[in-house]
Amino acid sequence: MKRIVVPGEIVTEERKRLGEHTFLRDGKIYSDCVGIAEEDPKIASVVPLEGSYKPKINDIIIGIILSEEYAGYTVDINSFSRCFLLKEGIRDALKPTTVVSARISKVNELNEADLTDSRPFFGGEIICVSSVKIPRIIGKNGSMLEVLKKGTGSVIVVGRNGRIWAKGGDIGLLVRAIEKIEREAHMEHLTNAMADFLSEGKPKEKLLEKTVGEEK
Amino acid sequence: MKKEKIEKIVYVNKEGKRLDGRKIDELRELKIEAGILAHSSGSAYIEWGQNKVLASVHGPREVIPKHRADPYKAIVRFNYRMATFSVPDRKNPKPGRRDIEISKVCGEALERAIFLEQFPNTAIDVWVEVFDSNAGSRVAALTAASVALADAGIPMRDLVSAVAVGRIGGNIVLDLNKDEEDADDAVDMPVGILPNFDEIVLLQMDGLFSKPEWEKAIALAMKGCKEIHKKQVDALKKKYLVEQKEGEQK
Amino acid sequence: MSIIWELRADKVISALKEGKRLDERAFDQYREIKIAKDVYKNADGSARVVLGETDVVAGVKFVLGEPYPDMQDEGSICIGAELLPLASPAFESGPPDKESIELARVVDRGLRESKAIDFKKLCIKEGELVYLAFVDLYAINFDGNLFDACSIAALASLLEAKIPKVEENKIVAGEYKGKLSLSRKPVLSTFAKIGTNMLLDPSLAEEKAMQARFSVATTEDDMLAAFQKGLGGSITKQDVDYCIDTALKKSKEIRKLL
Repeated sequence: MKRIVVPGEIVTEERKRLGEHTFLRDGKIYSDCVGIAEEDPKIASVVPLEGSYKPKINDIIIGIILSEEYAGYTVDINSFSRCFLLKEGIRDALKPTTVVSARISKVNELNEADLTDSRPFFGGEIICVSSVKIPRIIGKNGSMLEVLKKGTGSVIVVGRNGRIWAKGGDIGLLVRAIEKIEREAHMEHLTNAMADFLSEGKPKEKLLEKTVGEEK
Repeated sequence: MKKEKIEKIVYVNKEGKRLDGRKIDELRELKIEAGILAHSSGSAYIEWGQNKVLASVHGPREVIPKHRADPYKAIVRFNYRMATFSVPDRKNPKPGRRDIEISKVCGEALERAIFLEQFPNTAIDVWVEVFDSNAGSRVAALTAASVALADAGIPMRDLVSAVAVGRIGGNIVLDLNKDEEDADDAVDMPVGILPNFDEIVLLQMDGLFSKPEWEKAIALAMKGCKEIHKKQVDALKKKYLVEQKEGEQK
Repeated sequence: MSIIWELRADKVISALKEGKRLDERAFDQYREIKIAKDVYKNADGSARVVLGETDVVAGVKFVLGEPYPDMQDEGSICIGAELLPLASPAFESGPPDKESIELARVVDRGLRESKAIDFKKLCIKEGELVYLAFVDLYAINFDGNLFDACSIAALASLLEAKIPKVEENKIVAGEYKGKLSLSRKPVLSTFAKIGTNMLLDPSLAEEKAMQARFSVATTEDDMLAAFQKGLGGSITKQDVDYCIDTALKKSKEIRKLL
């Protein structure tokens, strides 16, 4: 069973390397967030269950063009600061409210990011989830994402910043599947559970009252 | 006249029971819920005695005006507000000096808990609204704010747990209610700590007491804060534990 | 924070590593204090306090008013503080900000909670008319520790304050009927936490370096009348104990001057 920890809770008193979301004090390793303490003999780390997106180099994100500047575009990636996308290499001008996928090429110490390798989307839907749940939606070696693609027949692009673009196939089923992953992200054998869920066809589950993950 | 009436009130009787039946080291009933607002980064709601307090966190986000930003760390902006109907005599909605001081000390209390250096040039805004109050609204505000911050996923060293202790009728007691606060020789001491490290981040005192009374009061406050901490942790873990139990049954 | 102050704050910290303060005071020593009483003639009571180079002026004005509904036979005091822009490049003009509000409320707490003033003596007609003593503090130079300087100035001005005569529910200008007598002299002592040290009466450079601040008001009969922890750092119980013991001891020196 996975252990849920909160800020200030001891992860381990053993001598391990400090992983994500931990800090060392008086020889003990503590968690800095609400999350799951990972079991690893060498590294102590916590996977957060809550939080907003912090840009990292080489992450693929899904952003929305906000405005055009002289040398590029400002892009909203649902993080603390807006990002900048250079015009270099972009053939057709991008209009505000266009949705693009892009790669983060640079992050400064103020968590402001530069984007590159952009690709606009046409049509389709954007689903917003908490960015901390994205690793679960992708799964180990993309296994969960494969299950989702096969189970719904949709084209899916997952942004590390908590936005998912999908087109075609059964979008309604995809939304329900993502909601289920969000709720059960901390549980074991989730990939198998999702495969079962999707192969049941149209489940008779009651629709949730709130819409899929509000933007944080 | 009111003064004569007060002389006759027995704040702690021979059985060690207070006006509302509590023992001197007993907290009022309290309930905390985390993550109840969809549009904030994080939120929490607390019912503590008659107090009903809602805390919501936004950010870290851009600081406007820009000159107020700190290039080395996030700034914390704590806004404590009381609804006009939260007190017996309608309160002016405009924040008064008391609201401003409480906002200041509560914001400062949270600064030590948060890893501010991870978010330079940003602001973490905490909004706390008191909808009903009966003594201890500031410690309720701080306790709820700390849960809201954890709910927002903002990295913290520890939660902040707070409680007020005081002296009434010669006894050092935990978690005064309004009738007790109004006592003639009352002392009111709100305390906020990082419960895993015993670091004091909020400490004020109103009243007149001796050094030995201080010793008793701070010991009782630390104990009370740790009880509050348990409730904060339960509130944060609650939504995941329920699902975990269900998962195991499948 | 201008670069000069960052350099000074660094100097404070390196001096402390060798167990010293920049101005070579002991950790529990006040700077030189000068108190001038009864300086402003239009005020009903006044004082000017210079602590190191921190300079604060206080004036008392009695105003007639209605008593609060739950204290029909008592007058009251109201403390206000203004950090004048001329006192420091850090102070901006405008309505009182949270720093000056906190300052005023902490000074008020020490005076009020120590029961130094018998508010019943400020009652003129129960339920109808009482004296309200407004004490207004103006910081005219900031060199650290406004808290203690303001507290001493407020106390000194109240010790000198004369109660105006009242005829037909109006104050008679220029005529007084005796002094406001205080039964206790509460003194506020403020400490800066830097590293693991608690330093009494922080200078400006020490304030730039401090992580947390702690103030405690004490009375001559060894009672504690107010606590206020300030700023974003934390303090330990041992820190507070040290501050209480030191304040009880050192406040006696201040009281001698009043």
